Order: sequence, then structure tokens, then C-alpha cells
Amino acid sequence: MDSRVEGLSVAAEAEMYRKRYGTTPAEADHSTLIRMIEDLLNEGLETQVDPFPETDREFSAILDELRGLPADALREKLVISGWLLKPHGPDEMRCQECMYFLVHRRWCDLPELNLPAEPEWWCRLWRI
Amino acid sequence: MANLLWLQGGACSGNTMSFLNAEEPSACDLVTDFGINVLWQPSLGLELGDDVKAILQKCISGEIQLDIFVFEGTVIDAPNGTGEWNRFCGRPMKEWVKELTAAAQFVVAIGDCATWGGIPATAPNPSDSKGLQFLKREKGGALGANFTSKAGLPVINIPGCPAHPDWVTQILVAVATGRAGDLTLDEFQRPKTFFSSFTQTGCTRNMHFAYKVSSTAFGQRKGCLFYDLGCRGPMTHSPCNRILWNRVSSKTRAGMPCLGCTEPEFPFFDLAPGTVFKTQTVMGVPKDLPEGVDKKGYVKLTAAAKGAAPAWAEEDIFVV
Repeated sequence: MDSRVEGLSVAAEAEMYRKRYGTTPAEADHSTLIRMIEDLLNEGLETQVDPFPETDREFSAILDELRGLPADALREKLVISGWLLKPHGPDEMRCQECMYFLVHRRWCDLPELNLPAEPEWWCRLWRI
Repeated sequence: MANLLWLQGGACSGNTMSFLNAEEPSACDLVTDFGINVLWQPSLGLELGDDVKAILQKCISGEIQLDIFVFEGTVIDAPNGTGEWNRFCGRPMKEWVKELTAAAQFVVAIGDCATWGGIPATAPNPSDSKGLQFLKREKGGALGANFTSKAGLPVINIPGCPAHPDWVTQILVAVATGRAGDLTLDEFQRPKTFFSSFTQTGCTRNMHFAYKVSSTAFGQRKGCLFYDLGCRGPMTHSPCNRILWNRVSSKTRAGMPCLGCTEPEFPFFDLAPGTVFKTQTVMGVPKDLPEGVDKKGYVKLTAAAKGAAPAWAEEDIFVV
């Protein structure tokens, strides 16, 4: 799964997940969602890492983009949020220290994302 | 017996409403148990028009001894320094304030508007509003930085939007019963007995603050409101979680972020869009950190706390 998904409608994207994983992001369990995220990024999905939202206005603008997405729009969520499977920046920012990260549930609690996450991952909605 | 006069400038009457809800002691207790004689109050006074004016004039002339002058609301200077936008009993309120504060033994400012300007003084401050002795953090206000009442005290500031009713009545009782000398005031002339601790002191969400678990939406009972929803509890001096509202609750206990209304900068960030109910950050780090904590320490503390957080901290433990 790589750049071929560009331009797919959410319904078509959901169908693609169903074929590959037997379920869609909206219905997938924690481990399947983790696998979907890892597969997307390991297979070359480019996410919008920059610019990091320096102000709350910029941060809110990203949230506005995410807010309207359906739960199956996993690829769009990852792209818009600048999701990475590794720490980022000179300070090695990572989910482990982010206030939205629930350490035990391994979950990003930011309502606009609401996705599983790993401690060593990162996205540009990182806040401490 | 202590004579009390209460006037209102640029305000919403919120502090009067709060005062009338006082319980320990109540507004009635002030009269029946503590010997306070309410000369006039906007919501309680029976006199109207010239009869009110006569009371004010007698206070100024000394015919009636004015022991406590309470002011609620801002002192309005507009337009062009005349104060004509807020006339009362035939003249600008600012003139009554000047003369009554000079005649009073004690002057008490109730609520943010009277203390440091509050919402009316928010930029661009069209009514040219001031607090009695402050404009936001700047000392001076309507009466000047060096003002002291006849008893030798500066204005006693009881901020809040509104002030908690019991802060008001307890301070009035202290003054009326000759214990004003026991009051120690902080740099903003707030009684230290109420304004040394923080709103966060006693907050039921403190364990979530400690383990860095955030509330991310209104109505969530888990999580701390500081990290995302703009709560100013760790930076705000007030006893809101020690002396509860209606004796049962507080904003943060009810899931409402503290707006920092007992601090001179309230309303913060001049109510710019996106600043209310949203923690302001720079590069992901809160602009305003808990008092006494620096950025480096905050980052270290977060890493340690996240690493040590127990699983239950991520759950709603307030099961109905």
C-alpha cells in the first residue's frame, strides 16, 4: 500500500483495508490498527511533518482539518498530523512524553486522532 | 456598630449576587450578629434618588461616619476623563468614589472590576475603566498608588469574577469587628488568608496533574484540565478548592477550567480568539507553567511522571 492510495475516496480506502486486513480502521482492534499504521508508513506514506504548529492558532488549524474526517480515513489522519514511527527533532520528541499519550493503553487520546500509538512514535500535534 | 456603604460602577452586579448568597457568615448575619449597618446597597437599599444622594453627602461631610466603603465595578473615566458615561445621583460616579474613599475608614474593592479593571478594562478598554488602586498589574488605578483610607490601609482587594461570597463577608466581619489589623495583604493588596494558596490546592484532579494525564474534552471526569483545556489552577491564587462554591463544588471539580479570575491579568490574552479554554503553548510547551516551575524542570517532570503513571490514572475513577 503506497502512493497508489492517493486520490481514493474514503469508501474505496475502507474497502482496501477490508481486503488486506479483513476489517476497516473504524472497526479494527488495537493491534490491527497498529499494524495498519506501521504498514502505511513503512510502505512509504509521506506525512506532513512540517511545519510544526508553533502557535495555538496553527495547532487549531490542523485540528480543524482532522475534525471532519471519518474514522476510516486513517491515511489522511496520519498525513495531516505528520505521523512518524520514530522520535523527531533535536529534542527527540516522542509520544512517551506527549500529554495526549496514554502510557498503559498505548493510545493517543487527542479526540481528533483517537488512534493507538507507541512510545517512540511522534506527530506534530505533540504537546507536553 | 459599623456603617457600610456599597456602590457599584462599571459592573454586572455579579458580586452583589454572590454576596447575597453568602453563608458563613450570611449577608443577614452581618447585620444581626456582627453589628454592620448597611447604609445603602444597590440591591438592598430602600432609598431612591435624592434620598440616596443625601446619604452619600452625609457620609462625605462626616455627619454619618462611614466605616466601610465597598465598591463593586470599575471606575469609568470615559469620555475624555470626565466619567460622564457612568453618572450616579446627578454626577459622575468617579467623583462620588473620590470623595467617599477619602471619608471612609476602610475601603474594600469587591470583584475583578473594582480591583484591577476586569473585563471592562480589557483592551481596547473603551470605557477607560480602572480598578480602585490598580489597572491590571499596574498600581495606581483611580485612587492613585499612594492612597490609604483613614485607618491607614490601602484598598483591600477581594478579586474574583465574582468574588466568593464568603471571602466578602468574612473580610467585612474582620473589618467591622476591629480585626483589620490582623489582615495581611499581598503585593496586589489581596488578603493573604485567601490568596496565598492556589486554585489547584485541593483540586480533585490533582492526581491526574501529577501523572500528566490530560482531559481532552469537556465533560471528561478523568484527566487534568491544565494541559489542554486552558485551566489556570496551578498559576492562580485563590481558595476555590478549599472554600467551595455553594459549599459543594468548584469549577475544576465540575470539569470547568479555572480562568484565573483572581489574578490582575484576567481575562487573559485579552480574550483573543483561540485563547479561552485552550492551553497556550509555544512549540508544544505551555506558555504559562505552574508557578515556580521552569521549562527544563517541567519537561523532566513530565517524562518522569509519564513513566511512573499507574494504569488507573488513565481511567475515570469517579464511578457513579
